[in-house]
Amino acid sequence: MNVNTMEYSATAKARPVSGKKPSIPVKCRQRNRFIPAFLIGVAVLSVLSLLYLEIDWLKMASRVGDIGLVFWDLAHLDFSNMDLIASSLVETISIAVLSLLYSLLLGIFFGMLAARNVFRLPWLSVLTQSFFTFLRAVPTPVWVLLMLVCLGMGPEAGVAGLCVHTTAFFTKSFAQSFESIPDETIEALEVTGASRLSIFMNAVLPAALSQIVAWAGMRLETNFSECAILGMVGAGGIGYVISNSLQGYDYGTAGVAILLVFLVAYGIERVFVRIKKKFY
Amino acid sequence: MTRRIPLIARDLKRLYTGFLLVAVSLFLLCTYLTEFNPMVLATNGDAFWEFITEDFLPLALPKASRIPGIFSSVLVTLALAMSATTVAAILAFFVALFGSEKVSPFPRFAKAVRGFATFLRNIPALVWAFILFSSLGIGTGVGFVALCITSFAFMVRAFVETMEDVSQDCVESLQAVGATFPQRVSQAILPSCLSGFLSWYLYCVEVNIRASTIVGMVGGGGVGLTLFSYIKSFRYDIALTIILLIATMVIVVDQITGKLRKELLK
Repeated sequence: MNVNTMEYSATAKARPVSGKKPSIPVKCRQRNRFIPAFLIGVAVLSVLSLLYLEIDWLKMASRVGDIGLVFWDLAHLDFSNMDLIASSLVETISIAVLSLLYSLLLGIFFGMLAARNVFRLPWLSVLTQSFFTFLRAVPTPVWVLLMLVCLGMGPEAGVAGLCVHTTAFFTKSFAQSFESIPDETIEALEVTGASRLSIFMNAVLPAALSQIVAWAGMRLETNFSECAILGMVGAGGIGYVISNSLQGYDYGTAGVAILLVFLVAYGIERVFVRIKKKFY
Repeated sequence: MTRRIPLIARDLKRLYTGFLLVAVSLFLLCTYLTEFNPMVLATNGDAFWEFITEDFLPLALPKASRIPGIFSSVLVTLALAMSATTVAAILAFFVALFGSEKVSPFPRFAKAVRGFATFLRNIPALVWAFILFSSLGIGTGVGFVALCITSFAFMVRAFVETMEDVSQDCVESLQAVGATFPQRVSQAILPSCLSGFLSWYLYCVEVNIRASTIVGMVGGGGVGLTLFSYIKSFRYDIALTIILLIATMVIVVDQITGKLRKELLK
């Protein structure tokens, strides 16, 4: 950011000064002119959106006290259904991990097709990129719902549905990592007559490996929380326990399940913060 | 025997080996635990194909009388994401000021503020929605609050990190000449961090467009609810039309935020 402000002052000096008396500017004049316009636009849009939503604030406010009551009920942890909670939590974690690993492989494959510098076929990369942009744009629960229709209840639907979105995400980010490899490396290998595939396996993939590991770590967090909510739209897992017990006013069980979801998510985050600090 | 020069640094190699080992063992463990069988997907291939060709395609439009309703539900989803993110961003800005040890006037409480945000963040938006549904009742307002909570917590973290990255010496020197807390914020933090904050804000808008569709599915209103009701009533051809509509909405928003971000960081 400091570099930026320095650049701005350089351009500002080049501008002809139109004032009469030279004085030391107190206000930073070199700010991005676009920002105020952007802020005003955002404010207007947000106010319009709030008006459009027509939320009944009074009714909401009158019930705010109930939130406290619900939390009070949630805090009375009830461990009597612990085996059900534990097994569904394990299922949720497993689905998250499995979908991550399968999509890692698929993502590397499709990332290879989508990267412009691997096969040097523009139509192939444009086709893959746009297909996966579409897949990425649709939220995961929608895919899982559709997979449930095809495959029936069970881990298969969860894994397959999560894989759609995760693969699309990995394809985009891996393709970016692959494209950031300097062209010289690839050209040097091209000159030696290496085939496209062996260039990818021996130069592009190893160079992008650290980024792939980082992306995978980041995605595990997302996958876990997505997986935790899948149960709420009809798939199994911990989300089903949470939504079911909340709707059945069994707040103690829901409290335990929510607490466990929080602890696992927090644990994953801490582990990856640690790993990041160690290696970067 | 020829000796080979190691191509990558040893600690990196250890990372990769560890990663591979963890991945393989996790894979085996999870496959065992869930009894997931990838062959099921292959054997159900025809069911897939049938589903896609017969139920999904061709695209069908809902009854003409419902079309305006669908468009207004798309607007509700967009409005929900937009307003929730903005409210969350304003709140997050003020809270983030107290969450950074170097900026906050009460450095002792900075950890507590961040811990609170971590707690809010690590519970998914949909879980918040369910907790709130059971206290506030179903409706757009609850979806709004649920989205607000998660994006608020996310932005507190992002804003604190932005501030810690950027403006320590600036803040310190202002403190040394006796600037008050509001002065420090408006003269040191805002100018140097604003574009960073706004770029996080745009990211949150993108995320919230998706999230508001999902929250809508369980009762928050908007296009998610419309889609959910068509899927539940087995009208997959209409559902596909709405899925395409959602995809278009998300892609357009992503394009716009991408353009704006470039403009902001110029």
